[in-house]
Amino acid sequence: MDEERRGTWFGFGFCGFGQALGSGLGRQVHSPEPLRTPGGSLGVCRVSASWSYTAFVTRGGRVQLSGAAGGTADGCTDAWASEELLVLLRAGPGAGAELQAWAPGSAMRGDPLWSQAVQEAEHGPSRDETQAGLLPLLPCARAYVSPRPPFYRPLAPTLRARRLELGAEHALLLDAAGQVFSWGAGRHGQLGHGTLEAEPEPRLLEALQGLRMAEVAAGGWHSVCLSETGDIYIWGWNESGQLALPTKSLAEDGKTTAGEASGLEEDGSEVKRGSAGEDGAPAPFIAVQPFPALLDLSPGSEAVKVSCGSRHTAVLTRTGELYTWGWAVNTIQSHLSSSFKSETLQLLNNSSFSATPDNYRYTFCLSL
Amino acid sequence: MAGPSTLWETLQALLPHTKEELKLELGEKVEGSVLMLLQEAAELFLGGQWRECLQTCEVLLDYSWEKLNTGPWQDVDKDWRRVYAFGCLLKAVCLCEPPGDATSVAAALKACDMGLLMGAAILGDILLKVAAILQKHLLSGKRPAPGPSQEPPGTKKARNDHVPIPDVTTERTVPRLHCPSLQYFKKHFLVPGRPVILEGVANHWPCMKKWSLEYIQEVAGCRTVPVEVGSRYTDEEWSQTLMTVNEFISKYIREEPKDIGYLAQHQLFDQIPELKQDISIPDYCCLGDGEEEEITINAWFGPQGTVSPLHQDPQQNFLAQVMGRKYIRLYSPQESEALYPHDTHLLHNTSQVDVENPDLEKFPRFAEAPFLSCVLSPGEVLFIPVKHWHYVRALDLSFSVSFWWS
Repeated sequence: MDEERRGTWFGFGFCGFGQALGSGLGRQVHSPEPLRTPGGSLGVCRVSASWSYTAFVTRGGRVQLSGAAGGTADGCTDAWASEELLVLLRAGPGAGAELQAWAPGSAMRGDPLWSQAVQEAEHGPSRDETQAGLLPLLPCARAYVSPRPPFYRPLAPTLRARRLELGAEHALLLDAAGQVFSWGAGRHGQLGHGTLEAEPEPRLLEALQGLRMAEVAAGGWHSVCLSETGDIYIWGWNESGQLALPTKSLAEDGKTTAGEASGLEEDGSEVKRGSAGEDGAPAPFIAVQPFPALLDLSPGSEAVKVSCGSRHTAVLTRTGELYTWGWAVNTIQSHLSSSFKSETLQLLNNSSFSATPDNYRYTFCLSL
Repeated sequence: MAGPSTLWETLQALLPHTKEELKLELGEKVEGSVLMLLQEAAELFLGGQWRECLQTCEVLLDYSWEKLNTGPWQDVDKDWRRVYAFGCLLKAVCLCEPPGDATSVAAALKACDMGLLMGAAILGDILLKVAAILQKHLLSGKRPAPGPSQEPPGTKKARNDHVPIPDVTTERTVPRLHCPSLQYFKKHFLVPGRPVILEGVANHWPCMKKWSLEYIQEVAGCRTVPVEVGSRYTDEEWSQTLMTVNEFISKYIREEPKDIGYLAQHQLFDQIPELKQDISIPDYCCLGDGEEEEITINAWFGPQGTVSPLHQDPQQNFLAQVMGRKYIRLYSPQESEALYPHDTHLLHNTSQVDVENPDLEKFPRFAEAPFLSCVLSPGEVLFIPVKHWHYVRALDLSFSVSFWWS
């Protein structure tokens, strides 16, 4: 009863490491199945997935790992999983909290690799009831945690960060005014400033200035944000169709394979781009979209949640439809009927695998 | 003549048979989860579970491919390239599971080539050996298809309205020398950084007589190579893609190509060692500081009209011409300001100016910058000193081999 009111987590995709709670090793789930949570209603409120393991956070403050990494820990308010590090936010003594970075293989036993006392959010961004935490953004919103050293990274106080998302090589920040900033490497257009140049510091997305954004999400090399009016803006790498734009590899192979060499020559010849024909000729494939493009899902649809895997994207609309596209996303939509309503969408960061069309590349959880 | 079962047996004989041998020594960068998968793939392979092994390989390839695409190539940890190569190796062999039809073997060869292109050497260069076996098997099954026309491709090109051959007599030309001594070359050209065309140095290399479209298709036709599509790499429509040499020749050389395709800056001779026998490393390279293994040898193969925009490289270069002619212009590094390099990091060693059609309003100083030019013909070797700006346009169907050395 309690579980139904709170919502149920479902998952589908590649579970080769047993990352979904209750799934065995080597399973591939083709349509959403409820996660089997041992010991009754665990009240999972946050799911953070890395490639080979997932961290589940319960309302009771327990973190449980599933997949290539295992173990449980109590007294946690948030967790963030990556292949390099598992980050935990633990309620500390008094009003403080502690940020801990663990090696995923440690099962959270012994000592963390690194820890630091952090400020609890007092006047920080208010939390959505359905979101357990904001990692990698810290509760005070003055800093964020990175999977590579330095782990603790301060943010300029003028940036009133509401959400922060990390891609493989870049970062996206949504501020209190609904403005989007990006920084990091830009070689696949993921920063959205119209070039392939890197940005060392957070830079405002000028193309979106004035539009209030409600959500941001970062994939491996692409970025998405949703406006308060439900529009989707997307940019970055499209090699697997993760921007929902025509892509060469999908057209040629009928499936996505590890295709093009990203040429690494010194004389700048690694730029790999296509562009829409200006004279009205059919647009060739778009490999990189270096500034935001407006994406039309379907007439009248309003996007309310977005999440990205390494090379795919998922969007939830106000009316409860789930749209997904990108790496190995083929007929996933046919598995989702319109009665499958969702309130929360948290897309787990990919997993990978076979070339056969009816297997899916990612693990995906959502709440009903 | 060689049936698929023989192919399978040959491959199986080549690969290690124990877990200890079918293993990579990897450092800390590779996460435990990947090590698990590598072990699983090896176990499945040794246990004869080819289909399951293939699935695990795809996972490995997928994940390591992302690592290969993170950050600049030179910073990619070699271990990830080894993981990728390992995945390609097992995938290639599994694809040849009997009955092993031609399509599967071709796919297996492509997997090998991906491992060679993006991976790093593992298990004693095993990918090269597997590729050679697969290639031999594919060739024994069919005769190379003759080209649609027997006429030399050059005559077909006469219909295109490219810029005609520049009248180099009005331009200052690169000096030519016949087999200078090492010391003479060093004193007068290497040390002062002056370009020169060396004659009599490469004209007896086997490639000069042997290489033709037919020969190249025989030796490398089914191999996958990177191809640049688009007039020049500074264009917006420029892109890189992969295809077999046969596909490249058919699409961008023989038939009426809609686009320019260029098999450019590719270490073809590492991928196909048989071709390496047809070339030699110029003796003058011994004047450098580096080891012979460190010399980068690139193939440049494409139709009439390919253009390399004016740019500079960080190493000394010997450019040997094998097929066709190239028009080349050289500017001294001292003239760099008059060449208006791009200010972006990616293209800072490339000029913004279109050499044969310069926008002099935008780039006024370019008109006054002195240069040397030449038409490089088969058998000749051009010395391009380090950092010397060079612009290259192919006047015919062309094949060049460059040697980058320090």
